[in-house]
Amino acid sequence: MGEILGRVVATERRPNTPHQFNFWTALDAQVGIGTIVRVDGKIPVAGRLPKVYGVVVEGLSYSDLETPLHDVLGADGEPGRADDAPTRRTEIRLYTAAVLRHIPDDPLQPVPLGAVYLASEADVQVALRMDAYLKPGASTGIPIGLYRAGATSSPIYLDADFLLGPEAAHLNITGVSGLATKTSAVEWLLSSIFAHFPAQKGSVAALCFNVKGPDLCFLDQPATRLDASDLELYAKLGVPAEPFKHVEYFAPYTARGYALNTLRSNESLSHNVRPLTWGLREVLQYAEVLLNKDDVDAKADALIDFIRERVVDQDFHDDRLATSHRVQSFTDLERWFRDVLRAMEEKNQEVWRTHHVATIRKVRNRLTNISTRCRGLVTDDGTVSDLPWGVFQDRGVYVVDVANLEEDAQDLIFARVVTQLRERLEKRTLGVDHVVVFVDELNKYAPADGPDTYVRKMLLDVAERGRYLGLVLFAAQQFRSQVHRRVVGNSGTALFGRMDSDELATPGYATLPPTTRTKLSTLDKGELMVRHPHFTQPVFVRFPRPAVLSGREGVERYPQADEPTLEGAVVRALRPLDRSITLDWVKETIALADEDEVLRARNRTLQVRPDDVQAYFRSQLKRRVATESVGARTRPAIRTSPGDDPYAF
Amino acid sequence: MSATDDGRGGGVPIRDARRILAAHGGSPAAPGGESLERQARPSSVPRLDGAPLLEGHQIEARDLMGAPVAAFGAFLDGIQRSVVIGYLDITIPVVHGTTAAAIRERDDRTLHTWSDGPIVERSLFLPAALAGTSTMSALAASGIPVHDTLPAADPVALRHPAELLGLARQAVQARREQAEERLAGAWCASARTPLYVDGGIGGFAAASRSPLAVGVVKSHHTLYVDADAVATVASLRPGQRTSAFVVATRRRTRVASWYLRLRDTGAPLGGLVRVEVAEAGFDSARADQISGWVLAEREPVALPDSRWDVMAYGIRDCEEYLRAVAG
Repeated sequence: MGEILGRVVATERRPNTPHQFNFWTALDAQVGIGTIVRVDGKIPVAGRLPKVYGVVVEGLSYSDLETPLHDVLGADGEPGRADDAPTRRTEIRLYTAAVLRHIPDDPLQPVPLGAVYLASEADVQVALRMDAYLKPGASTGIPIGLYRAGATSSPIYLDADFLLGPEAAHLNITGVSGLATKTSAVEWLLSSIFAHFPAQKGSVAALCFNVKGPDLCFLDQPATRLDASDLELYAKLGVPAEPFKHVEYFAPYTARGYALNTLRSNESLSHNVRPLTWGLREVLQYAEVLLNKDDVDAKADALIDFIRERVVDQDFHDDRLATSHRVQSFTDLERWFRDVLRAMEEKNQEVWRTHHVATIRKVRNRLTNISTRCRGLVTDDGTVSDLPWGVFQDRGVYVVDVANLEEDAQDLIFARVVTQLRERLEKRTLGVDHVVVFVDELNKYAPADGPDTYVRKMLLDVAERGRYLGLVLFAAQQFRSQVHRRVVGNSGTALFGRMDSDELATPGYATLPPTTRTKLSTLDKGELMVRHPHFTQPVFVRFPRPAVLSGREGVERYPQADEPTLEGAVVRALRPLDRSITLDWVKETIALADEDEVLRARNRTLQVRPDDVQAYFRSQLKRRVATESVGARTRPAIRTSPGDDPYAF
Repeated sequence: MSATDDGRGGGVPIRDARRILAAHGGSPAAPGGESLERQARPSSVPRLDGAPLLEGHQIEARDLMGAPVAAFGAFLDGIQRSVVIGYLDITIPVVHGTTAAAIRERDDRTLHTWSDGPIVERSLFLPAALAGTSTMSALAASGIPVHDTLPAADPVALRHPAELLGLARQAVQARREQAEERLAGAWCASARTPLYVDGGIGGFAAASRSPLAVGVVKSHHTLYVDADAVATVASLRPGQRTSAFVVATRRRTRVASWYLRLRDTGAPLGGLVRVEVAEAGFDSARADQISGWVLAEREPVALPDSRWDVMAYGIRDCEEYLRAVAG
């Protein structure tokens, strides 16, 4: 039963309703905004004594004075004298609680007068309807944090069916930047999901887009700052305080192509960092991501479709062209365009296969320009190094580092990766049953205002239909009000860290009581307000620091490697495949090759990952070198010009 | 402390009383009528009643030595409310009276109800001889506490209805004073710190002789000074007291008393209280000491009570408490 915390009070002017009630407490009662309480009714309803659970949303304090002026007069205008009075003035603590649950819930009646108790751990489970999904042997609870009030310390669970689908899905987290709330909360929650996601619901992996700095660059490294209170939280919530066991990193190359464009470039961490490079085939499908509506009208769209369906990856013959083509890379595509345009010029034609020369020139310009705009990601030669589609691992984390990329490249990566996830989940060929996609800065990718971009459309699609596929969006942003309503609205679960008061003044937060908004603007690090479909009111919880190395500490402990030389870049790339590779060997091997050739050979070696790395790498160079060498060694026949040939042929 | 009912909202079932009265020829009064206390007007004109002095030969204004010190350990007050619920034979009023008294003990500057709680009584008050034995028996049989409002020695005769109402009100007041007396006596018998009593203590048999009980009278319908001392009383400055004198009436214990100015309100009697203490052991130093205790209770101000200039906050708290529990 516990000690009585307070008593429900109702007056004609301040009545209780089925949704809200008032109660008073002693001045030193352990209660505050967010505290969960239980009311025990005294009069049976439908044969049962009613119990009502509520969460405190408002608190008032006042004395028996009618006006502050009386206090001023009583103390002769001297504030210090008020404390000299031999008797303390009568004071009341009056709280308003929003109802979380009635038992029985039918008939729904106003909250009865009765004693108020601090909710116990069992009460909290009932109040938040967690008892429905924490049944022994069939639990789908995912710990999100610990609720604390007075002596009560109760784990709060989200329902996996409503977090990862299929009932509801997606999570949105909002909070001011710089307080390590958003990223930390997601890292913590992923650990919790991996520890508690029910085996009967299948496998789950996470794909995180690292959009700024080193935030997600050290998820496989242990944290250094976990204190006793964090460890206690981990123990209480049943989550191992350890970094993620299986993490793979993917990053495009820098524009120069020597090193990967990531802050996780320290050689000691390179074992699980892979290049992310795509060729023509991978990019062409998402050309519209990079081409705005001015670029792609119906005619251009038709030509792109023609190229995609009739030209790429197949032998292309046309009598008007000088040669047959097999377009597999941007270089091949450029060669094909040149041939088409030459043929048209030769025959003085303005139209080729219904496509006007101006359209062809425009599409050529826009498409071939992609490899320049997304240099480092898109390769001219078609070399592909991609995510491990089809072999995603259960409880694996895949980080795609797009932090230092241009916006075009970010959009392209975003669009292709998420589309691939969706398609493969639909066909059940990804390797796992559920994927959590974490995207920060959502107000940039799915803004409430602005153009209707491909990325925004795709995020809307994921938000609205992803839960049926197991594709779950965990999105974060500083300003929720600036994110598209349908993306936010489709997030079954919402987390709120410390909020900016300007943001809290926007209409989206009008449903929260003023005190809750004030509490949100002063939340400590590690505190969250949680909204979840099972909870009729938001709940405040505390979560532990993530058990992974923070980005800031990570870059100090594992400083970024210097931009390597060409030889160094090859060593750095190939060493994880073959530890015997030395700088001298590389220098000797590539001595006669040019830079593009070396980088191409490196990329192909990384793509194929052969057993004999050195031989394969050398073969890639040899083939080219040999061809050129042969060419160089072939002496042209000495031809004498006929005397009557004025053109010397 | 015991109470005649649970003191928490139970009490006399007025509906039962009305039913019994109706069965005996009574007529109900309109519900929601004004209480007798609100209707009551002073029965006599204000007067002067010069009292024998305990200090000096005439009433003087005296300055107190030293700063006020809070010494009271508790505050005692009572409330009453009398409402006519019906009439017998058209002219005999039947009054429902509620009385309550409590001591609020001060601990760490916070007030709590002392001992077992308040004494709350809800009873019927009517002239038994006029009501008739059958009515009185029926009421008694129903378990309703009934009190006779006619003095035993008075002849039984029909009276003016207003006089009967006045007698009923006095009977209720007597019950309230009895409750206060019980509490004051209990405090003085068991406690060690002074008790601030709202009103005089001369009516309390035991407490009026205890050094722990201090009565503080707020109203001055009777001024216990001669005419030539009225100006002295009226011109007391805040913190000054008069010479002490003896207050003695036929049915009350003799007590030492003096006037004390708490505040300057601009009115002759504004902020003026009369202090009563046991006569035994009285001396000037004790009068000064006790005056200092009373002065220390000026804060916090008892606003928003209309008698804030003469009321201690502890007494206001007591009244608020009793209103809450007695309704």
